[in-house]
Amino acid sequence: MPIQLIGFLLVAPALAVVLLLFIVPLVSSVTGAFDVGGAFGFGNFTKALDLYSGDILFTLVIVLLSSALIGLFSVMIGGYLTLGTNARAVAILRWIYRWPLFIPFIVVGQILRTFLAKNGLMNNIFIELGLMTPAAAMSFLDWRGIVVAFVWKQTPFVTLLLAGAMASIDQSTIEAARNLGAKRVRILIEIVLPQVRQTLLVGLILSFVTMMSVLSVPLMINAQSPTMITANMAFRINAHGDYGVANALGLISLLMTSVAAIVYLRQTMREHSQ
Amino acid sequence: MNAFLEVSDARVFYGSNEVLKGVNLAVDKGEFVALLGSSGCGKTTLLRSIAGFNTPTFGAIRVGGRDVTRLPPDKRGMALVFQSYALWPHMTVDQNIGYGLKLRGAPKAAVGERVAEIKRLLGLEAFGARKPANLSGGQRQRVALGRALAIQPDILLLDEPLSNLDARIRLTVRHEISALQRRLGITAVHVTHDREEAMVMADRIVILNNGEVAQVGTPEEVYNHPTSDFVAAFMGAENLLDLSGGTSGDRIEIASNAFNSSAVVSARGRELSGPLNARFRGESVQLSEETGDASSMRDEGFLTLSGIVEQTSYPGGLWRHVIALGPAHVIADSPRTFAIGQRVSIRIPEAALFLFPKR
Repeated sequence: MPIQLIGFLLVAPALAVVLLLFIVPLVSSVTGAFDVGGAFGFGNFTKALDLYSGDILFTLVIVLLSSALIGLFSVMIGGYLTLGTNARAVAILRWIYRWPLFIPFIVVGQILRTFLAKNGLMNNIFIELGLMTPAAAMSFLDWRGIVVAFVWKQTPFVTLLLAGAMASIDQSTIEAARNLGAKRVRILIEIVLPQVRQTLLVGLILSFVTMMSVLSVPLMINAQSPTMITANMAFRINAHGDYGVANALGLISLLMTSVAAIVYLRQTMREHSQ
Repeated sequence: MNAFLEVSDARVFYGSNEVLKGVNLAVDKGEFVALLGSSGCGKTTLLRSIAGFNTPTFGAIRVGGRDVTRLPPDKRGMALVFQSYALWPHMTVDQNIGYGLKLRGAPKAAVGERVAEIKRLLGLEAFGARKPANLSGGQRQRVALGRALAIQPDILLLDEPLSNLDARIRLTVRHEISALQRRLGITAVHVTHDREEAMVMADRIVILNNGEVAQVGTPEEVYNHPTSDFVAAFMGAENLLDLSGGTSGDRIEIASNAFNSSAVVSARGRELSGPLNARFRGESVQLSEETGDASSMRDEGFLTLSGIVEQTSYPGGLWRHVIALGPAHVIADSPRTFAIGQRVSIRIPEAALFLFPKR
């Protein structure tokens, strides 16, 4: 048997899996987006934009806002883990910050639903403490609830990557800055962060793509309009059997994540070329 | 004692492990002191304690009479040059050098002026816009030095700054650093494990062993008058003999042995008796063909050994011989080579023979 054929046979099973489970459904979903009553057309897209352009914008804003907050919190936590001087506080934080990683999105949604509702745990605590009157209680189960859920769930993931990168930079670069008189916040922003910015960017992009694909959180927390397009897609299929518009929304979502993917690929290419 | 930088009875623990066991050190203004020792002797710990990155559990550190033991690193008027250089990879050479001034809130124009001055001083004019990744080892080392000097510290601390350089560059950088230090009149403390580096660069050498100061002195003193067996060995007197002898008046009488003559050497204040450790350097002896059995000779002002050449090599300058004295071996250098198997006499002048009580 020629060597090329053996090579092909060896990769064939993996190739078949990729082809059948990934490429074929993707292609059929893409072609399905342009399928209007059996003919090629942009009908699904005009309909999707007519009905859901508000939701598309809503999704983009929510995910970008969440990414920004995740970035901020992960830098703060990672920075404290790296530069904190109170060994016990650092140990406690290191032990505790990863917990949300192991909680599924649906459970996060459920927890926050009971926590953030109008008569939920958070408002009850505020009322009990006398910080708020029962009349002033309001529900956070809207865009704010989604952002809280995303940030709560994704910050540990980005922090995990970031804290690892921060721990592996040359610690004497931090001491050199201290030696010249830099305070901790300044060291974090001017010395540590610039050395780990690529890791932060990669973490945020992966997190962006994850949030774009979450259905359970918007369904649990924000079952109203506007909502995220994942919920719209589920609704088109479950309530109307309308695969055309669902596919069109899927393609729009894919376009958003591919912008992130391009940034990610360019970043990794640049790292490899160094 | 009015030293500029003073460490008194500094004790540092890592966990239950005592790394510095009560170290005293006094450095005058403008002096260049080398902390010399093998790895794990506590020299870097001592430097980091001076710099303010470790706080000694006991003892004090004073600069110009002011206690700085509990002050943060930047309030001590010191700048540290790190072994790894610790340059900030995302900043250019100019930014690295100017960062300390920027932190002190110096106006931009003043920072630029000082950075230009430092670059001129260190021959870095052409590299201001480069990042550290695009510099050679020697250039990085100079940037690290420039970054420390830019803030005009009273004391410059150097943590093995030459150990990451190629051997050839290291030799020139040694002289550059000590010339610069003299020109600026800055007080410097330099950590190294390289004996020659310490000898060439420093005004005074502090030899550390196992968390304690073993000896302090000028390069000439520690080289020619080691006060302990450890210092003698560390300063290159690796040849070790077991002798026995006793002191009478200002003379030490060494008893003859199977491989050595009986000898009388001046005591120079030493009181020795019983078993002795004798150390000498291979290059400070005279090698000759054996003229008679050493054990039957009686020498004054030197000691004679007799042995058999086992191995020769030419490291450059002198021939090196490994000579067997029964089960023991010593190394001796000579301008001419002796054949393997030949019986030879080794004559050690008393000034080159270091005697210590055997422990």
